Amino acid sequence: MGTSTSAVGRLLPAISSLLRPPPEGELREYGGVSLVRRKRVIDVGCGDGRMALGCAPYASEVVGVDPDPSAIRLARAKARGLGAANVQFKVGVAQELPFPDGYFDVAILSWTL
Amino acid sequence: MVDALKEARRILRSHGILIDARPDSRVFAYAEHKTSSGTYGQAGVIATSREELVNDRSSDDAVATAVREGWFRSRRAGRFWHRVLFEDRTTLQRYLDDHARFVHRVRWMVDPAARRRWDGDPWAIRRAVRHEQLERL
Repeated sequence: MGTSTSAVGRLLPAISSLLRPPPEGELREYGGVSLVRRKRVIDVGCGDGRMALGCAPYASEVVGVDPDPSAIRLARAKARGLGAANVQFKVGVAQELPFPDGYFDVAILSWTL
Repeated sequence: MVDALKEARRILRSHGILIDARPDSRVFAYAEHKTSSGTYGQAGVIATSREELVNDRSSDDAVATAVREGWFRSRRAGRFWHRVLFEDRTTLQRYLDDHARFVHRVRWMVDPAARRRWDGDPWAIRRAVRHEQLERL
């Protein structure tokens, strides 16, 4: 079993993907990109969009939801920077997701429960 | 937490997949020192704080409830390790001081002289992440 590596921490921002595993490595551990390929994916508790944006190149549609508006702003900015057109981020809580029944193929709760 | 799992079930299609991943507090994390050869050596262990252990047990209970209620079934589970890097030992200690997940003191496996000698070298915390793939029923 390998060990993934994230960033050097001089300063530790409140919202930081840098302290988490790289999304491609994390996705590989969960079963690989086939898990999300051409799927509708929701990342619940998405923070600054680390996993949602990591799934975006493979999935048909990705939604990230997080209760922290500043995290969502950051996630949206990252999505714009990456030109990820199939990703949207919403402020919301895990207990009340604004989507119809059975809409998603995959739900990711990464460091959320 | 159970409410979140119930809501996740609602928005998933039948046989859709839920991934639950979180730090694995069933095992210690390690404080590691980067050696001159570029590899990491264990220098101490870091326990999870009591509060976070309680939270983790609540998460476990929520998942167990979701399975028991027949909302999901477990398809596979596993663990991987992740290294968070720090430029020196002071930065690592600052991380421990500022964060709630771990206790603030490393239980050292090396003597104080070695630690002082390595103070300015790169350090890491190697932590376990557990994950489970649950199928929506």
